Amino acid sequence: MRSRFGRVMILLGAAVVISVFWLTVLPTAGQQAPPARQSAPFPPYKAPRLNGHPDLNGLWQAFVTANIDLQDHEAQSGPHPEVLGAYGGWPAGQSIVEGGEIPYKPEALAKKKQNLQNRMKVDVSNDKTWHDLGDPEFKCYMPGLPRATYMPFPFQIVQGTSPYILMAYEFATATRTIRMDWNGEAPTDTWMGWSRGRWEGETLVVDVTGQREESWFDRAGDYHSDALHVVERFTPASPYHMMYEATIEDPKVFTRPWKISFPLYRRMERNVQALEYKCVPWTEELLYGKFKKPS
Amino acid sequence: MRTTLCAAVVSLGLLLAPGAKPLSAHHAFSSEFDAKRPVKFEGTVTKMAWINPHAWIYMDVMKADGTTEEWMVEAGTPNTLLRRGFTKASLMPGTKIRVDGYQSKDGALRVNGRDLTLPDGRTLFLGSGEPGAPPETPAKK
Amino acid sequence: MFIAAAVIAVIPSALTSAQTGASGSSKPPETAQAQAPKAPAKAPAAKAATGKAWTPIKTPWGDPDLQGVWNDATSTPMQRPNGSTTDVLDDAESATQFEEKLAYDLSRDRRDGGPEVDVNRAYNEHWMDARRLKITSDRRTSLIVDPADGRMPPTVPLTPERQKTRAERAAAADRFNAGMPNVSTELSLPVRCIIRTDSPPYLPTIYNNNFQIFQSPGYVVIAPEMIHSARIIPMDGRPHLGKTLLQWLGDTRGHWEGTTLVLETSNFRTDDGVAYQGANPATYKITERFTRVAADSINYEFTITDPATWTKPWTAVIPWTKVDPGEQMYEYMCHEDNFDIVHLLTGARTREKNGEGKR
Repeated sequence: MRSRFGRVMILLGAAVVISVFWLTVLPTAGQQAPPARQSAPFPPYKAPRLNGHPDLNGLWQAFVTANIDLQDHEAQSGPHPEVLGAYGGWPAGQSIVEGGEIPYKPEALAKKKQNLQNRMKVDVSNDKTWHDLGDPEFKCYMPGLPRATYMPFPFQIVQGTSPYILMAYEFATATRTIRMDWNGEAPTDTWMGWSRGRWEGETLVVDVTGQREESWFDRAGDYHSDALHVVERFTPASPYHMMYEATIEDPKVFTRPWKISFPLYRRMERNVQALEYKCVPWTEELLYGKFKKPS
Repeated sequence: MRTTLCAAVVSLGLLLAPGAKPLSAHHAFSSEFDAKRPVKFEGTVTKMAWINPHAWIYMDVMKADGTTEEWMVEAGTPNTLLRRGFTKASLMPGTKIRVDGYQSKDGALRVNGRDLTLPDGRTLFLGSGEPGAPPETPAKK
Repeated sequence: MFIAAAVIAVIPSALTSAQTGASGSSKPPETAQAQAPKAPAKAPAAKAATGKAWTPIKTPWGDPDLQGVWNDATSTPMQRPNGSTTDVLDDAESATQFEEKLAYDLSRDRRDGGPEVDVNRAYNEHWMDARRLKITSDRRTSLIVDPADGRMPPTVPLTPERQKTRAERAAAADRFNAGMPNVSTELSLPVRCIIRTDSPPYLPTIYNNNFQIFQSPGYVVIAPEMIHSARIIPMDGRPHLGKTLLQWLGDTRGHWEGTTLVLETSNFRTDDGVAYQGANPATYKITERFTRVAADSINYEFTITDPATWTKPWTAVIPWTKVDPGEQMYEYMCHEDNFDIVHLLTGARTREKNGEGKR
C-alpha cells in the first residue's frame, strides 16, 4: 500500500472484521450466542406446572411429512393425477429417522416393498385376509403410535388430576388413554396400543405395547410385527412447542431399535379446536362397493 | 297397581331395550343368522380374535366322515370380559369347546354363538378371569 | 336403520294412541307419594342415596371434579310402562318386583320362546353389562321425568318430505331385518361404525356403557367407550362453530351452574340418524346437565326440544356410577374389524342368486 490512507483503511477494515467476528461469537452481557451447530439444544425450558408436573395441555400438531414416508422422500404427484391434478400431490420431506434409514432385517425389507406396492389395494371379501392388503390409513383405520403423532392433523392433550392423560387425535377421532404409573399389562392387542406413562423431570415418558400388528408407520409401507414396543418422550421446549421422540423396537422386523424425533407445535389460532375428520363414509364404496346389489 | 305395572312391563320390555336408543341395539341377529338352522357341535379352538365390534372364535370341527371344517363363531364384545379379568390368554388354541347356536343364512360356516361351553359343561367366560392374573391397579405413589 | 327404523315407525303411532288413551282417562299422580320427581328440568338436589349431603370436590383450578370412568347402565325404561301412573316405587317389594320382571324380560340366558326369539338373544348375560338388569336406585318407573306421565310427548305430524325419508328408512330396515341389504350406505350408522352410543343424549345399552371424563383448565372432555371419540368441551365462553360447519356429534359448549356442568350442543349434520330419533337437525336442541351428587354418582339429565318433532320439550334423568379403578374403559374400535357388514352384504347376494328375497 502506498498511501497512508490506504493503510489506515485496511487496518480499519480489519478491525471491523475482527470486532464483528468477536461480537457475533463471544457471548456478551444480555446477549446469547447463536447456536454454533444445528443440533445445539434450545435454551432449557421449564413448563408451567399442573399438579406438580409439566402442563402439556393444549392442541398440538406436527409439521413433518413423515406420514407420507418416515425417510427422505421427493415430492410426487400422488395417486391418479389425471383426475386430481395438483390437488393430489404429496410434498417432499426429510427423514425423521435418526441416522436416516430404518434398520430393517434384509428379509423384512421385502415385506415393506410389498406393502408399498399394495398400499391402495383392498380386499375384504374374506375375514381371514381382511387386513392383508392396503395401508390402514387408506381404509380410514387407526394409525397406531407413533404414526398418530405425525399425521397431518392436530391432537388434543387433556391432562388433569386423574391417573390418566388423554390424547385425542382429529384423524378419525382416534383416542388413546395414557395410564400413569400403571402396573397392568395390555389384556389384549388394540389399534392404539396400551400406553403407560411416567414423569422424568420435564419429560412425559410413555411406554406403548400391545399394538395390533396390522397398523403401518407411514404410506411407504413401513410396518411392524406384534412384538412392537414404542417408548415416547414428550418434552416441552417453549410455551409454543414440544419435542417429541419415539424409540421403536421390534426384533422380528428390525436389526436394532431406532429413533425418530421432531417438534410438535401448539396451535395458536384464536378459539382453535380439533374438528371432525370422520373418514369412514368415504371408504365404504372402496371397501364394500363390490358387494352391493347389482342394478 | 303392581299387576298393571308388571303386565305393562311385559308389553314394553321386548319392544324397546329399556332406556336404549333403538340405534344402540345394533344387532338384529336374525338378519344374519337363521333361526331355522340351529347347530350344535364340539370342536377345537384354533384362534380367538379379541376384537370389536365382535370377538370371533375360529374352530376346527370334525365332520362325521372324518374330515375337518373350519367354523367361525361370532361372540360379544371382548371389553365386557376384559373388565372381569379375562385376557387374550384366557382361551388358547387347542382348547375344545362346544357351540350351540344358529348358522348363517347364506350357508357359510359361521355361527352365532348362543351358548359356548367347555366339554365338562362349564360355561365359557363365566365368572372372572384367572386368579393370579396381574391386577390392573396403579402403583402406589 | 335396521330395527330402529321399524321401531321409530311404530313408536310414534303407539305413543299417539297411548297418549290419546291416557289423556282421555288421566288420573292425577298418586298424592300419597312424597318423592315424585319434579317436573321442571332441574336436577334433584345433590344428595347421595343414603340421604347424606355430599361435599363436592374441586379440581385444583376450581372446577367441580367429575373425573373418572362412569357407567350409565340400567333396566329402568325410558318411558313409563303403559297403563302405569306410578312415577316412583315407594316400597321395596314393588321395586324388587319391577326390577325382577325387567331383568327376566331382558335376560339373554333364557332359551325359551322359540328359535326366532332365541337367535336374537345372543349372547349370554356374562357378555353383557350386569348393571343393565338393575333399576335406578331412586326407583323411578321411567327415565323420563318430564312430562310428568313419564312418556315422550306426542309427536308433531311430519312434513311430506320427512315422511318420505322415514318411509325409505323403514324400507331399508325391513331389508336389513330380512338379511337382504342392498348397499352398505343404507345400513344404520351403528352398523356402519360411524356413531354408536357416543352421540348425545347418552343412553344405556346392552354393554360398554362407559364414559371417561377428563378435565383440564378450561375444558371438560367426555370420551365414550363406543365408539372411540372425545367430546372436547371448551368452558371459556367462546361461541359455537359457524353455522355451516356441521359435525356428526355436533359442537358442544359448556358452562358451570354451581356444581352442575351444563352442555349446549348445536351444529349437527343433517344426515339421517344424527339427531335423536330422526328429529329435525335445524330445530333440534339438546341441553345436558351433569351433577356429581356423591363420590360414586353423577346425575345425568338431558332436555330435548324440537317443535318440528315433539309437541313439547322432554327431559330424562339417568344416574351414572363411578366404576374405576376397579373397572376400566377399554378401546372400542369398530370400522377396522367390521366383518359383519361384509357378511350381511355377501350373504344377501348369495341368497339372491339362490332365488331368495323379494323382487
